[in-house]
Amino acid sequence: MFGSFLRASQVKSPWLLHFDCGSCNGCDIETLACLTPVYDVERFGVINVGNPRHADVLVVTGTVNPRNAAVLKNLYDQMPTPKLVIAVGACGCSGGVFREAPNVLGGIDKVIPVDVYVPGCPAKPEAIMDAVVTGLGKLKAILEASK
Amino acid sequence: MNLNTFLLALAGLVLAPLLGGLAAGVDRVVTARLQSRLGPPLLQPFFDVGKLMSKAIAPASHWQGLFVRWALAASLASDVLLAAGGDVLMCFFVQAASASFVALGAFCGSSPYSKLGAQRELFQLLAYEPVFLVAILCMAKAAGGFDAFSIMAAQGPLLLRLPLVVPGLVFVVLVKLRKSPFDIAASHHMHQEVVRGVYTDYAGRDFALLELAHWADVTVVLWICSFLWATGPLQMLATGLAFLFAALIIDNISARLTWRTMLKRTAPLTLILATANLVWLYLE
Amino acid sequence: MIEAYIGLLIFWPLAAGLACLGLRGPGARSALVLATGAVLAAGAVGLATQTPLALNPAFLSCATALHVAQAAAFLFPAYFLFQGIREKHGLVMLFASAQLALAAYGEFGLPAPRAAQDAVFCDGLALALVLVASLVGSLISIFALPYMQRHEEHLHLKTSRQPQFFLILLAFLGLMNGLALAGDLRLFAAFFEGTTLCSYLLIGHDRTAEAKKSALRALWMNCMGGMFLHAGILLAQKQFGLAGIRELASPALWAGATLLPLALILVAACVKAAQLPFQAWLLGAMVAPTPVSALLHSSTMVKVGVFVCLRLAPVLEGTTTGRILTLAGALTFLGASALALGQSNAKKILAYSTAANLGLIIACAGIGTPTAIAAGVVLLVIHAVTKGLLFLCVGDMEQTVGSRDLEDLRGILAKTPLTALAASAGAMAMILPPLGMLAGKWAALEAASASPAAMVMLAVGSALGVVCWVRFSGTLMGGVAVGPQPAHASGLTSGPILALLAGAVGLGMAAPWLNALLLPAGQGSPLAGGWGLLPPLFATAMLAWIAGLKVLGRQSLQPLAAPYVGGLPQARPGSFVGALGRNWTLSEGNEYAPELFGEAKLTRLAGALAIALLLALVGGALI
Repeated sequence: MFGSFLRASQVKSPWLLHFDCGSCNGCDIETLACLTPVYDVERFGVINVGNPRHADVLVVTGTVNPRNAAVLKNLYDQMPTPKLVIAVGACGCSGGVFREAPNVLGGIDKVIPVDVYVPGCPAKPEAIMDAVVTGLGKLKAILEASK
Repeated sequence: MNLNTFLLALAGLVLAPLLGGLAAGVDRVVTARLQSRLGPPLLQPFFDVGKLMSKAIAPASHWQGLFVRWALAASLASDVLLAAGGDVLMCFFVQAASASFVALGAFCGSSPYSKLGAQRELFQLLAYEPVFLVAILCMAKAAGGFDAFSIMAAQGPLLLRLPLVVPGLVFVVLVKLRKSPFDIAASHHMHQEVVRGVYTDYAGRDFALLELAHWADVTVVLWICSFLWATGPLQMLATGLAFLFAALIIDNISARLTWRTMLKRTAPLTLILATANLVWLYLE
Repeated sequence: MIEAYIGLLIFWPLAAGLACLGLRGPGARSALVLATGAVLAAGAVGLATQTPLALNPAFLSCATALHVAQAAAFLFPAYFLFQGIREKHGLVMLFASAQLALAAYGEFGLPAPRAAQDAVFCDGLALALVLVASLVGSLISIFALPYMQRHEEHLHLKTSRQPQFFLILLAFLGLMNGLALAGDLRLFAAFFEGTTLCSYLLIGHDRTAEAKKSALRALWMNCMGGMFLHAGILLAQKQFGLAGIRELASPALWAGATLLPLALILVAACVKAAQLPFQAWLLGAMVAPTPVSALLHSSTMVKVGVFVCLRLAPVLEGTTTGRILTLAGALTFLGASALALGQSNAKKILAYSTAANLGLIIACAGIGTPTAIAAGVVLLVIHAVTKGLLFLCVGDMEQTVGSRDLEDLRGILAKTPLTALAASAGAMAMILPPLGMLAGKWAALEAASASPAAMVMLAVGSALGVVCWVRFSGTLMGGVAVGPQPAHASGLTSGPILALLAGAVGLGMAAPWLNALLLPAGQGSPLAGGWGLLPPLFATAMLAWIAGLKVLGRQSLQPLAAPYVGGLPQARPGSFVGALGRNWTLSEGNEYAPELFGEAKLTRLAGALAIALLLALVGGALI
């Protein structure tokens, strides 16, 4: 029983670390909107944390450039396993309209593995919440496969 | 030690952290409702701890695991002491030991936020310990004994003789529950200048155990507060909940203070009030 | 047989010290010091098996011994006066002359008092002091052997001054034993002045300007204490015609009489115990080599003061004098704890904490109930061991790092793991339940229930102490990995440290039984009151200890995570790569909150309050 409680709780308490990699802030505003009374993402146990050592899900907005690639990689490495990465917005997914800019490496997946992509410019709060739930489904499948 | 004491101690060991977890759940639901949100399920804190238990992460310091276990042991011991009707003063000291271990582990951490949190944690300790001690001394004086049973067996509600202790106890509850405006060492909400302060470097299973220790602490503090109206179990529960709700409301309507304000204004003010009550008891 | 033990305890250290002076080789000195340690340990244990006892050994009760004691009452002040004149120090001259005048009055102006019933009187309290002086004192002397060697290498002395040093150091232990066991006030006063002389010589040992200044400060303060002591003794003689300590400490004698003599003796004790406002001499004592400060702080000198208070405590129960003494002790506990919190100098922290803990013991003495006295004696023993340990550790770390500032000792765990861990453990032993220091503090708080002001001061002081020691320990351990590092120490350095560590933890755990041993017979069950709670707490602590060490073993094999510095990467330990790819070094420091715990302001404030209380102590006895 205790084991099944532990497994169940793995998908019931996603703590989010939100990293703005170089976004125009559009996707950031939408991400934070998830916490407001309108969307109230805490219904699913989501907490926005500021410390990678406590986070389960890394939510990244914006494009990656050579300067912040190291920080992104570092934050990802400092998170405990198992962990999820969600790329939010067109820039996070692929680099968006900045894809060909000289200082842009591209989407998040150029630096760290991404589990869920959320398209949109900016991404809608509903889509971001859906991505978290999809990601947790993925995590559940992995956990059940490894059981 | 007779069987009765043993069973009470066992109940304290098992139930106290659970009650603390429930209090944390109530906290999250009530806070959400105050902000016109729906909020998480009541058992959310238990899911959080369950999740943290199964996370794997490299430690920030080799010493932290040790201090976490010691802190948990001390917190549970203080619960057991109280449940078995032990000396409330010793229960307080054992709980202070738990807080010292948390701070020591944070000192051993590698992140500057952790060390900053440890310094602030110590100043919090300095601010709430004296007033908490004096409050306990007041209760012991009014009830005529230092052990939990004789305080609970006091004639009539102690609150009527200890009104000036209440601000001090509210202050203690706010600090121990890590609530604004005294959430100075381990900012509970995201994106603050100390990250998670004293908790920054604890992660995974260590953090889960620390959360359990925190719940145990919350139970002890609320329990001691509930001595103010200990005419029956329900009254005690109601008093404990009243202190919890007071803390939640203050948390939601206030911003954080600095440790200097806490140490220079709040702590002396509450201490003076509690001392005045103590002196009053002697003059009675 | 037992007389031989007592003789050894008092005279062997003096003889061994003189032998050190004669045989100047380091080998002979080491052998002599180690032998002294063994003899004192054997003597103290032998004495312990016979306690309680009252004896009249010929060498302490004969007329010659009393004549020598009477002569000492002139000789010591005369020497102090001579030093005062040589150094042109007005206060020393003043108080030494006053002492001489009092001695003359006692000799010629008063009829000779009735001799004490017993020249030697040993109960739990005296035994505690003998054990502390003999065991802890010997360990510190052994630690001093390699320490002084290195110390003199550092100073580049042409001729070694170690023989004189060890003469005084060892003689000090003998004097302490004599003082603990003396049953006659005149003998007691002679030993009391002897400790003043030894501390003066030891503090000034390095002969630097600072050492000289500190030594003279210690001398004038303790001369003043001696003056109060003699005045008190003479008044008591005049009042009762008595010279026996045991007779004087019986409450029946004082029924209806003024407590003024006792109040004067208590003021003398407060000076010796470095209570506020006399803490300055103890703080100055830290200029001396570490073994000296360790000795003065833990096992000798300051313990004389609390010993006197605890000896007289039965008379104080329920009296105004006792209540004021409780307040004075509690005030020192509070004030010195606050002063300790504002310091970054590790030795100053230890010094203020010594004054604070002695204040706690004196508060216990002022309360004067058997429970409070037993708590006071437990505190006396455990404080001696713990503080001895802390001083030796700080001394060793200071020699390793070259600084005694806490900020420079940050993370010393990597350099001297044994000493740093021992120091951390010692610091935590000062505050953690269920160890003895906390148990004593707790017992004092519950015993002080007659005095709300004292209780509140003890409560605040206790919180200050916790913060001070956690920070101390955390700073030493700060963020360093467990790693095998070669220890430099010789067995003579680490041996005493380990022995004291074992003593601090072991005795700390044994506090309830120690307490039960000290409570007079018929005081309820041996683990009465809350002390019965402690054994289950030990069991819990041991379980937590085992669980914690298992986790420590597991975690110390794991690689460490990179520190979280706002997500910025790290190129080297203790730094981060910031803007423009620059490498920024991280630096840290403790917050000492000088605006709250500033030394100058607090010393003035607490000193003024303490002076008022001491005046009230004497004045309250007058009316």
